[in-house]
This record gives sequence, C-alpha cells and structure tokens, in this order.
Amino acid sequence: MIMSRLARAGRGGPLLLALGLFAALVLPWMIYPPVALDIACWALFAAAVDLLLGFTGLLSFGHAAFWGGSAYCTGLIALHTGLPFPVAIVGGAAFAALLALPIGFLSVRLSGIYFAMVTLAFAQMTYFVANQWRDVTGGENGLQGIPRELFGLDLSDSFSFYYAGLPFVLVGLFVAWRIVRSPFGRVLVSIRANPDRARALGYPVDRYRLLAFVLSAALSGMAGGVFAMGHGFASLEGVYWTTSGQAVMMVILGGIGTLWGGAIGAALVVQLQDFLATAGFAETGIITGSIFIVVVLLFRRGIWGTARHLLASRRKAAAPGEVAAEPRKSVDTPA
Amino acid sequence: MRVTGWSGCLAATGLLLAGCAGGPGGGGGKISDDKVVLAVLNDQSGIYSATSGKETIEAVRMAVADYQAKYGDKVAAKEIVVMAADHQNKPEIANSKAQELYDRQQADVILDVPTSSAALAVATVAKNKKKVFIDVGAASTELEGKSCNKYTFHYSYNSYMLAHGTGTEVTKDGAKNWYIVYPDYAFGQDMEKTFSAAIKAAGGTVIQSDPTPFPNDNFATFLLKASNLDPKPQVLGTMQAGGDLVNLVKQYNEYKLRDKGVGLAIGLLALSDIHSLGPDALAGTRYTDSWYWNTDDKSRAWADKFQAKTGKRPTANQAGNYSAALQYLEAVQRGGTDASDEVVKQLEGYKFEDMFARNGTVRAQDHLLLHDAYLAEVKPAGEVKEPYDYVKILKTIPAAEAFQPQPDPACKL
Repeated sequence: MIMSRLARAGRGGPLLLALGLFAALVLPWMIYPPVALDIACWALFAAAVDLLLGFTGLLSFGHAAFWGGSAYCTGLIALHTGLPFPVAIVGGAAFAALLALPIGFLSVRLSGIYFAMVTLAFAQMTYFVANQWRDVTGGENGLQGIPRELFGLDLSDSFSFYYAGLPFVLVGLFVAWRIVRSPFGRVLVSIRANPDRARALGYPVDRYRLLAFVLSAALSGMAGGVFAMGHGFASLEGVYWTTSGQAVMMVILGGIGTLWGGAIGAALVVQLQDFLATAGFAETGIITGSIFIVVVLLFRRGIWGTARHLLASRRKAAAPGEVAAEPRKSVDTPA
Repeated sequence: MRVTGWSGCLAATGLLLAGCAGGPGGGGGKISDDKVVLAVLNDQSGIYSATSGKETIEAVRMAVADYQAKYGDKVAAKEIVVMAADHQNKPEIANSKAQELYDRQQADVILDVPTSSAALAVATVAKNKKKVFIDVGAASTELEGKSCNKYTFHYSYNSYMLAHGTGTEVTKDGAKNWYIVYPDYAFGQDMEKTFSAAIKAAGGTVIQSDPTPFPNDNFATFLLKASNLDPKPQVLGTMQAGGDLVNLVKQYNEYKLRDKGVGLAIGLLALSDIHSLGPDALAGTRYTDSWYWNTDDKSRAWADKFQAKTGKRPTANQAGNYSAALQYLEAVQRGGTDASDEVVKQLEGYKFEDMFARNGTVRAQDHLLLHDAYLAEVKPAGEVKEPYDYVKILKTIPAAEAFQPQPDPACKL
C-alpha cells in the first residue's frame, strides 16, 4: 500500500526518510537491543563504503582498517583518559581519517581490481600491526571492558546505549547523504563514469578521489567507534579482511550507489547471522553466500536498487507526464 | 506526508522516553524466574568442537539429572533449563552471546567457554552483569590473575598446570634439552613462557623456541630444524592445538623424528585429538591431563553413562563441565537460591570430591579450582585394549602442586 502511494506520490523522499527514522527509533523495541545497535553501525559502515564504491567507483577491500582502527582508538581513548564516550568516538573517526590519508594517497592512483588489492594489502598490514602490538591493542584478547562514560549517566544498559549511539549513526548517514547531493558528490559521480573526461574538464581526479576516500574512512571510523562502545570491546575481528568483505557484501545486497541500500543489506545480514547463530546453525556462510548469489543473479541492482527501479518504472507508466523530468534526476541520487 | 512523518517521530520519541524509565527488573524471589538456567557457551563447529562441543551439553544435562536424583523432592531449583550457544572461538561473538544469554535467556551461569580471548571477554560480561561464569575450556591464567573478578571461576585446567606437569616431569625424567614450537598468538606465547620457566626450574634447557604462523599446515621447516640443532634436543615441545596439532604430529611422524631421538611432548592434548590421529601417531607422547576417563571405577562408571548417551568416551573438558554444573547446582542447593552473590559465597573455599575433581578446593582468593592432575603417556596401538583406551597414567600430580601454589597478587576480586 505504501509502495503504491509512493509510486503515485512521485516523490517519496520525505515519507521514506520519516519511515527510515521511525524504523531506526523503534528498532530496539522490535529486536534485541545490541543487535539493533549492530545493525545501525553496519548501516553507517555500508553507507561509507557505498560512498566510495557507488559514487566514486572505487571498490575498497580495506575498510576494515578504518572501522577496526577507529574501534581500537576509541577504546584506548575511553580506557585511558576516561573522557566522555562521544569524544572517544570522534577521536576514533579522526584517527581513521588520518590513517586513510597515506593509504588513500598511495592507492587512489589505481582503480578497479588493483585498487581493491592495494587497499586489502594495507588493511592486512593494519591487522598484523594490531595483532603484534599487544601492549596497546591487547593482541588476541582485544581491548576489553571499554567504559561508556557520559557525565555520570548510566549507559551500561544496551537499550539506553542504543539511543546514545544512534545520533552518531544518523549524523554520519546525513553527512554521507549531503556529500553525494553536493556539487562535490556530482563530481565524484562524473569521475566514476569517466575519469578521463573529468580530468579533461579540469578536475583534479586523484585529489577528489583521495578526499572521498578520507571522508569514507572517517565515516567508517565513526561506525566502528560506536560499535566498539556498544560492545565494550575492540578486537582483531574488526580489522580482519572479512569485515571489509562483509561491508562490501551489504552494499551489494542493498544496492550499489543507493546509500540507503547498505542499511537494508546491514539489517538483513546482521539479523540473519543473529538468527542462524541463535538457532544453532553453524555454517552461516552457506546461507548468506546463497542469498548473495541469488541477489547478484536476480537483482543486479540490489534489494533497494531493484525496489527503486520498479517504483520508477511504475511511476513512468502511471504518469507519463513526469517522464520528461525523470532523466534529470540521476539514478545516483538516493531518495 | 510530512505530518505522518512527524507524528511518527513523536510517537517514537514517546516510546523512547517510556523505555528509559523502565529497566531490567531484578528478581526478588529465591530462584529467579522460578528456574535455574545453565548455559553452555562453546565452540560447536570449529577447532575446539571435538574437545568439548555439543557433547558438553549432554554432560551438563547429566549433571542436572544427577542433582535431581540426589535431592528428589528437596531440590531448591525445581525447574532447570540447559541451553547452548556457539561462540566460534571469537571474543567478539563470545562477548555478545554472553550478554544475550544473561539478558535474553535469563542464564544464571555460563559454562565452558574455550579459547582464552573468548573466556576473558565473557569474564568481563559476567563482572558487569554480576552473573556467575565458570570457565572450563580455556587455559589462560589471566582468568585468575589480573582479569579475575568476583563472579568468574576457573575450572579444570590452565597453562600453569599443563606446563608444570609436562615441562617439569619430562625434564626431571632426563629429557633436559628442549626445542619448543608454538603458534604465534596469545595462547601459544603464554604457553611458551610458562613451559620455558617450568623447564628451567626443573634443570632443563630450552635450546630454542620458534613461533609458527597460526593457523599453519606445513611445519617442515621447524621439524627439519629440530634434528639439526646443536646440541640436539631430546624433546620437541609443541604448543599447537586442534587442527594445527594434528598436522604437526603427522609431519613429525613422516620425518621419523622419534627414531632420530627427538621425543614429543604436547602442551595441550585432548582425548579427541588422540582419537582422530590414532594412538600410533602419538605413541610415547607425554602430556598433562586434568582427568582421564579410565583412571578408576568412579570415572569409568560416569564415562559409561556418557558413552551410552553420546557414543563417545568423554574428554577431560566434558567431564569438567559436568562437575562444574553439578557443583554450581550444589551451591544453589546449599544457599537455597540462585542469586549470584550467594552462589559465589557458597562456592568460595568449598572443598569437595566428585567424579571429576579429586581433592578439589575452590580457592577463595582467586576462584581457581585446585584438584589433582595427571601426567599421561599415549600407549602404542598394541596396548590399546578397547576403543578410546589410549592413555596410561604415569603419575598423579597432587592438587597442591598441580596449580599455582599462591594466588596471583594481581587478582583483586
């Protein structure tokens, strides 16, 4: 019903936004709060990866370095300084951005598979540093018992912490949304479509890519920081390559270049993993892998991308008058 | 549309405020939720699934049945639920699963938790939630050292026990020169350190110790090195576990190191490892075990019951979980409640003896269970009389010597 209303309404933006916000707010009532927080963090992480993959055309396989690196940094700030947790999270995000500068500087000159491989290599380096630097990172054991301090407020309950962590995720998503809607974002899209032409038009392509890379890393770092706070824990798992892979998978499931699709992918994957683990099913990978294959084969645009595409084509059929206006609204702009 | 959106937001805000007011309610009754929930959190599909895994759940159920049979109508815990979760040996998953078990499933105690990093994660959760956690499967002495807390107990074995059993006894027996290989992660490093200390204290020398990648399937470099070291080591001490151990032992046999005079000592070996490798592959290998099923009539009787249920003979970890569950329920019985503080009080300093723990004492200062341990040697296949009868016990290490003689001063409960 909502769908058909949306289709008729032509512009479903505000309604969808309200729906999304509502879903984010009621999520811990529907499902177990820590799982809800995981979904929120992964949604932001996926959006950050999509910023690079969907809007700049760079497939990074190394974003775990920023998510996990920030998780460690956030944890260390909270553990050793006792500063309020928002400071720790912002510090973690800043650290991720700093880390992304040299990595990005060296890798944005490449594209396609080479870019993916180089970022993967840097992420693995980060992993080994984190593994070996035991005095700081705790090695195998990770950083445990990260406190959530906020001016004496009791946030130990995961239900209340969800609402403390959610603003960071929402701000992060808003920033991502602003970026892709800005002139800067349009340049990124043009670089994705045709880097040579963008260069010919006078845009410093590598610098744009680097900035997109750093911004994406900062947002990933923010997500990783909230995640570490939520779990009271930062571990090697966060900087491992499977974490990068999972984020990319969420983006592909939800729809590349849709920004919000990542959130749907995140909700799907996290919920599925939680469900399978609770049900005692060991081979989670088989199920998520099969779903991934089905989505890639049947819905190339991803779940959200396909839904949006169907809506758009229905809209065209229902209101031919609007068709003329449609092409101006590029497919790359999220609803 | 905008109106719908805003009213939705307002409604959600209302819900939010309502939510902040309520919190998890504390149980006032003697038995919370009128039932005692025992949760087994362990590896059910990975490298440690054979040493504890799903059969552990059965062992815990057996403890519940034995407890109910013993007290009949007088049981304090009328309803007892046993549940399980898989932590895949990852601290992150262990952390969230433990929270979930305590919160969502109303678990009163979490049992097992192999893999030290995962165990430490659960210990932190137990401390925050003020719920009992009895670790059986992990080796790290940090659980009763700097990471100890009021609600965490360490049962069955630890790296000190393994090192001081195997390292000391094998050295005293004449194998003075050691070559140690260990997987390069927390458990391996910890074991290497404790083993080296024990060997030196017993008058031996560690000629060299080498970290190996983890996980790893080719140990050729290290095995070739072993026979070429100068002076030649009399014993190769391996701290590998699970699949890595299986690979290493197979290759050790391919290189015929035993014939070249390099014996094998294993840091952590479980009955299930011997079963999967076959006793011939390990014949003559010495290791320390916290329990062996065929030690005496009492352990054998229990092992028979276990086998009737699972078709296998129990490993030391599985038996340890039975004992931990049983002693937890006994503590609930003595205190008449499953309230964590009372259970902890009942367990602290408790002296007991059961099928698993001989001369058992729960040390009050660091919550470490002290009990007899065993130095064991794998028999050659010719001496194996029945399935799973792979080991002969060379020596019983008394409880007082098997574990750390003094609690770690870093532990503040």
